[in-house]
Amino acid sequence: MPVLNVENLSKSYGKLAALNGLNLTVEQGQVFGLLGPNGSGKTTLLASVLDVVRPSEGTYSWFDGSDPKNTRRRIGALLETPNFYPYLNADQNLALVAGIKQVETPPLDSLLEMVHLRERRRSPFRSYSLGMKQRLALAACLVGDPDVLILDEPTNGLDPEGMIEVRRMIMEIAARGKTIILASHILDEVEKICSHVAIIKQGKRLAFGAVGSILGDSPTVEVGVSGENLDKLFQILSSHSLVQKVERKGNRLSIQMTAGKQPAELNRLAFDHGIILDHLVSKSRSLEAEFLEITRQ
Amino acid sequence: MKLSSLLHLERQRFFPNTTFRMIVLLYVLFFALLWILAHLIGEKLTFGGTGQSFNPAKELFLYPRNWELLAYIGSWLNSSLIGFLGVFMITLEFNHKTLRQSVIFGLSRKDLFQSKVGSAVALALAATVWYVVLGCFGARETAPGISADWASFPGLYAFNFFLQSLGYFLLGTLTGLYVRQTALATLVYFAYAFFLESLFRWFFWFAISPTKALLFLPDRVFEGLTPFPIPQSVSNMVGSTISGNSLASAETIAAALAYIMVFTFFLHRKLCRSDL
Repeated sequence: MPVLNVENLSKSYGKLAALNGLNLTVEQGQVFGLLGPNGSGKTTLLASVLDVVRPSEGTYSWFDGSDPKNTRRRIGALLETPNFYPYLNADQNLALVAGIKQVETPPLDSLLEMVHLRERRRSPFRSYSLGMKQRLALAACLVGDPDVLILDEPTNGLDPEGMIEVRRMIMEIAARGKTIILASHILDEVEKICSHVAIIKQGKRLAFGAVGSILGDSPTVEVGVSGENLDKLFQILSSHSLVQKVERKGNRLSIQMTAGKQPAELNRLAFDHGIILDHLVSKSRSLEAEFLEITRQ
Repeated sequence: MKLSSLLHLERQRFFPNTTFRMIVLLYVLFFALLWILAHLIGEKLTFGGTGQSFNPAKELFLYPRNWELLAYIGSWLNSSLIGFLGVFMITLEFNHKTLRQSVIFGLSRKDLFQSKVGSAVALALAATVWYVVLGCFGARETAPGISADWASFPGLYAFNFFLQSLGYFLLGTLTGLYVRQTALATLVYFAYAFFLESLFRWFFWFAISPTKALLFLPDRVFEGLTPFPIPQSVSNMVGSTISGNSLASAETIAAALAYIMVFTFFLHRKLCRSDL
């Protein structure tokens, strides 16, 4: 069952189109990454589906529209910077969130324990560091044990240890069958955590699907040969169907292979032309490389 | 969500705030102190020479005009402190983005609107209750031939006082909602409530045309709910020249209700239909 279905969603601020006919489906149990450069519309998209921003056009539905009365109670969200009442402490702020979600006895102790804020629970929010604020926001997201978590840059302001902790927490939550929608600039983070991803730019969807399918099955191979054979090999590969793109890098060639083709076939092709490769390294494409290529289009 | 739950949330949000508590405390104390001060000064006020002296304000401390005087004293606190409370409470939410955050946490726009209108009504009611309490303790002395008891409690004064508190609170809230910055919104609110509208009214009245429509401007209407109680002796001297400067009681109440509805409509539009 789709947890979130977005159809043709647009949002304009005057002449600026923040979202431009965006379509998206997030299925139950997915850890869905939302990628895009600054100003691409990620936060506007999340703000729209959370009813903070009114879309200019298009529609969205949560849980197939099956439970409209309880929809918002089933979603825990952290959008941009954490916003709480600065004069209230962690307990009071979380009690407010529990009141909004109509949770009668929220497990504040365990939530604060989980985000390592138990000792500072009586301190006012304004005295917290950015990392502590972010951790309180994560605790607030988890009040009421929601089915869906929306996390916009959840590791902002955290130290490396905190980042690892948050990633671990997200993985644990996902393992319990919860759906997570994660917007992040940190591509490595998305690659490590997410099962599915959408790449958006200028409010348009550029790529969408399982992380594996976005990365594709066209590996990059670096080869080296001695002497003038490098030119000969370059000539052969430049027009061969095994190869999508070939570039000279010093005394090596960097080759992006055609989807479905294997480095062994490249080795055989060179051998058939009397060239013996003295260096061959296959490199899988990173999400970062894929992201940069897609967003440059 | 139930209104009681929404009001409980509002209480959790604002009661611990020092500025909120200070404003409420100032309202409670100032209202009582000004009432005591009015008694001390007003009852000793005398005009004329020896043997012929009289106190024109004496009747204002006797039932039922004492309720009128008390409402007039309270009207200054309504236009200043209650109005400012409206500005403060909404701009506090904007400054800390907590209005938006409440929706992110799952509060519906409808619930958000209801909680703001609910808290406005609750605060106006609380102000009215304090007005009644002060009145019951300090305004029971009767004029000759009139008996005042609990049954003769002047409900219309209390109703007008409630409308005035609610009107000023909503005007402050609306100013805060559109201006968003506390300092600027406070300046705009006080400038409008204390100078701009009056200056415009006087200018239009004396320089262009003394039209009755000017009496229907918002601040004039809310002021008109608790008019300055003119002693009968003064009224006899001035005659009918004053009556042309004010609306009839029913007209004032109708106009105040209309403004409250208009303010509520704009509040709804802003909270339920705009980006947060």
